[in-house]
Amino acid sequence: MVQIREYGEVKVNDDDDNNNGESERFCINDHLDLLIEVLKRLDGRSLGAAACVCRQWCSIARNDSLWEHLCFRHVSPPPIGVRPVVSALGGYRRLYMVCVRPVLSRLKRRRIGGESEVVRRVWNQNEVELSLSLFCVEYYERLLVGGGGGRVAGDSPASSLKFLCMPVNV
Amino acid sequence: MKRDRERERKKEAKPSSSSSMAVGIGKAKDLHQSLPDSGGMDELLEVLGYKVRSTDMADVAKKLEQLEMVMGEDGILQLSDTVHYNPSDLSGWVQSMLSELNTNSSDNSSSTNFGIVLPGESSSTTMIDFSNNKQIDTQQTGGKMYDDDPYDLRAIAGGAIYGTIAEESPVSRNGIKRMKAAAPGSEAVDVPPESPKPVVLVDSQEVGIRLVHTLMACAEAVQQDNLKLADALVKHVGLLAASQAGAMGKVATYFAGALAQRIYKIYPQDGLETSCWEILQMHFYESCPYLKFAHFTANQAILEAFAGATRVHVIDFSLNQGMQWPALMQALALRAGGPPAFRLTGIGPPQPDNTDALQQVGWKLAQLADTIGVEFEFRGFVANSLADIDASMLDIRPSEVEVVAVNSVFELHRLLARPGAVETVLNSIKAMKPKIVTLVEQESNHNGAVFLDRFNEALHYYSTMFDSLESSALTQPLSQDLVMSEVYLGRQICNVVACEGTDRVERHETLSQWRNRLNSAGFDPVHLGSNAFKQASMLLALFAGGDGYRVEENDGCLMLGWHTRPLIATSAWQPGSTIIE
Repeated sequence: MVQIREYGEVKVNDDDDNNNGESERFCINDHLDLLIEVLKRLDGRSLGAAACVCRQWCSIARNDSLWEHLCFRHVSPPPIGVRPVVSALGGYRRLYMVCVRPVLSRLKRRRIGGESEVVRRVWNQNEVELSLSLFCVEYYERLLVGGGGGRVAGDSPASSLKFLCMPVNV
Repeated sequence: MKRDRERERKKEAKPSSSSSMAVGIGKAKDLHQSLPDSGGMDELLEVLGYKVRSTDMADVAKKLEQLEMVMGEDGILQLSDTVHYNPSDLSGWVQSMLSELNTNSSDNSSSTNFGIVLPGESSSTTMIDFSNNKQIDTQQTGGKMYDDDPYDLRAIAGGAIYGTIAEESPVSRNGIKRMKAAAPGSEAVDVPPESPKPVVLVDSQEVGIRLVHTLMACAEAVQQDNLKLADALVKHVGLLAASQAGAMGKVATYFAGALAQRIYKIYPQDGLETSCWEILQMHFYESCPYLKFAHFTANQAILEAFAGATRVHVIDFSLNQGMQWPALMQALALRAGGPPAFRLTGIGPPQPDNTDALQQVGWKLAQLADTIGVEFEFRGFVANSLADIDASMLDIRPSEVEVVAVNSVFELHRLLARPGAVETVLNSIKAMKPKIVTLVEQESNHNGAVFLDRFNEALHYYSTMFDSLESSALTQPLSQDLVMSEVYLGRQICNVVACEGTDRVERHETLSQWRNRLNSAGFDPVHLGSNAFKQASMLLALFAGGDGYRVEENDGCLMLGWHTRPLIATSAWQPGSTIIE
């Protein structure tokens, strides 16, 4: 049981906690479910930064379900049956890095004018579909390039998505 | 810009308060009101506070151009402390600026900031070009600066040629502004006699115009079978093209090469390069959105036609590397109700080294299908021409069992090289009983009977294409894709210009021509929905230089173009409901 008293101060009243004399100190690493809940609410960049904190955080942050949550956070309802497809094509983390993030940032830059400065993580169904299609094309292209060996491991996207990596000439 | 308006007005030669050139200065409303005639002064400028006589407009415009020329890049530095009065008297003010700057610059020994083009001996037109230092064209992104290379003095050819092209220079994307002065240079611009060498800047845009004209003159010579003149002209084009930077130079080089081949009757062998062609097409796929647009819009139409079907069959007239199908398979995998069983029949040309390229592509697609959980079946057909394939070979299953789609991306136009072939193929398409036929073709008529017309059309079309490629070059200047894409297009150019008869396979036709053909063959159009439009627009927005690309809807068909020029068109069809026996 965790009581949150004031801002920043947490009193732990955990019967199983064997910390003697230090029961006021809270360590998030002991409560991974909480950590995951926090990470679920981060944006992509922060999630990537979180992965650099320590090995434990790295292994947690690389959990694909976190990235899935990130990808489909504001799309309602999340498309059915997407998960096996995306997992097979390389996972949500790769989808985000290779397609979703560039697509969003490129399209966000296009929406000039009255948009607020707040980073918009909301994206609509069309953008989701387009990203998925591009992701699939990218997987196929890696197949073509990689020869008969099947999936080619590697983080750099295939050349058909090079246009996404190019800086926008604003 | 006021200068634009002055020039426009001069061309129209009549003040019109309802003119459409409200230049966004916020006074558009005022322009539409009727203004009292204030003593012969120009009404529109009056609104802005400048008093210029309507009769003096041409003069003032010319002076302003001279002023800009003289000021050049360092114009501000050249200004002394002389005070110029009364800017509302535009004519007098500009004159005083000019005379001051001319006296200033004549003192400088290195007067390379301005260029004066002397009129030809017999010509009565004065030509003044704008250098690209001023960003006149707001569409130009990235600020590509043309260098002020000092060129040798060149006498301009007779004004007749240049006079006619003032309105039609679509190849030069920065919009050349030129004017004809009625009085030939009586307002003499001072050519400082002290300068050691009269340096004349022939701006690269002017070289571009000259290039186009020499190309057209050469094509005309070829049309008239005047091969000696054509030969001389084509060499001249080569020289000009070499000095021209950018898209225009590249296009001109390809066209000159093709013309040379036509003149010397060296026809390229089309068959040898089949395998290279697919690699080139891959690079073209990556560097610009045309193929992606084609694939995505066609896929959307096919997807909508396949709604509710449990078994589907796609017949692809030009499989190449199969880049179109992963996206469709993914969309089918994720559709509500689960994916259908997907059967793909791919048709392709014979490979020179006898490898079974089709089967390899099919195998890769099968791997992908296995990954995403779509039941997949593939069959490949090697054929020299689509007319060799008929429906019975393709194992068409009854339409209650399987829904059929036929897809042709940049392939059907090749059939026009042989008479009767396209009708045969359209009939066999009907025999396949497809639910939908998707057709993507280049939007230009390169199949006219007269060579010169074909040449001109192709010149405009490929110039626009190269222009759009160039915009992506601004962000990736060393990209191999760009060069390969240009080679890919260059081969098409060569085929359009240099080949004849059955060798000339790049017989592009416009959407309206295809519409007529398909309508008379008994097909009804299917409108591409708004989903396709949205997806296409989004796709284009992702491309750098995406500002230049435009998606247009044209009576149910989608066209992708560069700025105002449509370049490719996607349309969808179904066999007509009335069976024509």
